[in-house]
Amino acid sequence: MAQLSMHEPAGGGNPVLDLSKAPLPTAKTLGARRNLWLQFWRFVAFDLRIMRMVIKGHH
Amino acid sequence: MAEVLILGAGVSGHTAALHLRRLLGSQHKVTVVSPNSQWNWIPSNIWVGVGEMAKKDVVFPLAPVYARKKIGFHQAKAVAIRPKGDADDPRGAVDIEYTLPEKAGTTERLRYDYLINATGPKLKFEATEGMGPGGHTESVCTADHAVEANHKLREVIEVLKTGKPQTLVVGTGHGTCTCEGAAFEYVFNVDHELRQAGVRDLARVVYLTNEAALGDFGVDGMVFDQQGFQTTSELWTGSLFRERGVEAIVGTHVHRVEERTIHYETLDGTSHTLEFDFAMLIPPFGGVPLQAYDAEGNDITSELFAPSGFMKVDADYTPKPYEEWRAEDWPTTYAAPGYDNIWAVGIAFAPPHQISKPRKSPNGTVIAPSPPRTGMPSGVMGKTVAMTIADRIKHGTSAAPHTASMARMGAACVASAGTGLTKGSAAAMTMLPVVPDYQRYTTGRDERETRGELGLHGHWVKLMLHYLFLYKAKARLGWQMIPE
Ligand SMILES: Cc1cc2nc3c(=O)[nH]c(=O)nc-3n(C[C@H](O)[C@H](O)[C@H](O)COP(=O)(O)OP(=O)(O)OC[C@H]3O[C@@H](n4cnc5c(N)ncnc54)[C@H](O)[C@@H]3O)c2cc1C
Repeated sequence: MAQLSMHEPAGGGNPVLDLSKAPLPTAKTLGARRNLWLQFWRFVAFDLRIMRMVIKGHH
Repeated sequence: MAEVLILGAGVSGHTAALHLRRLLGSQHKVTVVSPNSQWNWIPSNIWVGVGEMAKKDVVFPLAPVYARKKIGFHQAKAVAIRPKGDADDPRGAVDIEYTLPEKAGTTERLRYDYLINATGPKLKFEATEGMGPGGHTESVCTADHAVEANHKLREVIEVLKTGKPQTLVVGTGHGTCTCEGAAFEYVFNVDHELRQAGVRDLARVVYLTNEAALGDFGVDGMVFDQQGFQTTSELWTGSLFRERGVEAIVGTHVHRVEERTIHYETLDGTSHTLEFDFAMLIPPFGGVPLQAYDAEGNDITSELFAPSGFMKVDADYTPKPYEEWRAEDWPTTYAAPGYDNIWAVGIAFAPPHQISKPRKSPNGTVIAPSPPRTGMPSGVMGKTVAMTIADRIKHGTSAAPHTASMARMGAACVASAGTGLTKGSAAAMTMLPVVPDYQRYTTGRDERETRGELGLHGHWVKLMLHYLFLYKAKARLGWQMIPE
């Protein structure tokens, strides 16, 4: 599943991954993660997905 | 009258027991053997490990539930299986040793018509010198371990408050560990606690894992659909760690832990040391040690169990290279080969192979995450085998078995931190199926259901699951309506 190589030793004796190319969320994304109205709908969508998975997985 | 014996009262065994009792008339006996007096909702141990919940919030006593449901209960550990009975009786039997304080150490031989092995994992701390609660690292695998982990975490937070920097390491303690999702959840929570305490800037938080890449989770990683683009669990996890300032070290095998020093090797064969003040390392899992004997008393353990100690079932155990692994290799009925009345479910069954690509360092050190057998599939396996047994008892031994494969079932992993309904945050993943099927899906999994999300809603999901599964496990009114 390798795509973006992040395996870059960053010094200090330990081969710590270089995560500087991993995307950071924008202020809009951070706000959306806390927006109660939006999160309510995500909650409903997540629960529906779990129920779909239960149904699909039983066949 | 038929007698069903279930070894283990965890997610899979307890689910099987409740469904069997529901499906069978009172003339049939359902009996559970488990060394612990309490049921534990293990996923919430993560919250106990950071002090957000107390032990009492994640466990409850089993005996009253079993008494109410008319399920027999022996607080004991199984030590040996005799599938063909003994000289006195040809019926199958299990030797048990009581852990109930009043009877501790006494033994008994229980007979069965149908047997389910749901004994879960043996936590193999001994695989790495110096690891585990008896050594220098913490664990969250049991509620008691989690309580201890929280004590140590609080001590470190107190030191941080004095202005002294501290290093906290969370991850896997051996190259062959599974359950990376639990380590991921715990590091997410530790970061949150440090922020709450106002000491995050003084703490170095390191995620040390046997996964070859971030986001592998022992399932070969996932491809997510994000607003019309394919992204990977590697990038998703990398983004999360970057945002939170968590350092990641991947492809590791821990050789030894000394007081405050972890000695580990990475996939490139180089050796390293990491100084720490607090470490929570998940141990590798093996099968709970059970012996097996034939009617004459000859040892047939290797016939029933794989060398790992897990019980062999209807999987394809033919050794083959990673490229030839198929979804069909995975078991569907969980029946032990050669026995039509023995099954193994949950973590107790022997997987045919890993899911992630197994790797070795140039020194020959195996760094290969073992396949996770998470809560949802474990519960479904328990219910599936319960339905098979109920059908056999009611309609005769030729009744077709019910099936459930990890190459069809999904799983959810929710790393959630915080208290209350508005202050938490969570990283939530779902995957379908757990074992990728490249014949059915181009990315190995159903892209509609395989997702990684961040936000408050995941926290609500985790809280909901906590209360729902405790309610279900207590067999309260309508429990059977709550899916596994
Ligand atoms: C910290 C942590 C967090 C997790 N978080 C998640 C999560 O978020 N989502 C998820 O899906 N999964 C999660 N899991 C995995 C989940 O807990 C397991 O999938 C599940 O518990 C497996 O069920 P089981 O019945 O096979 O084993 P267990 O639940 O471990 O039950 C095994 C039972 O067997 C008993 N037993 C042991 N030895 C014997 C013996 N000799 N004789 C008889 N009985 C015996 C034990 O006492 C226990 O009752 C997590 C695991 C851990 C460790």
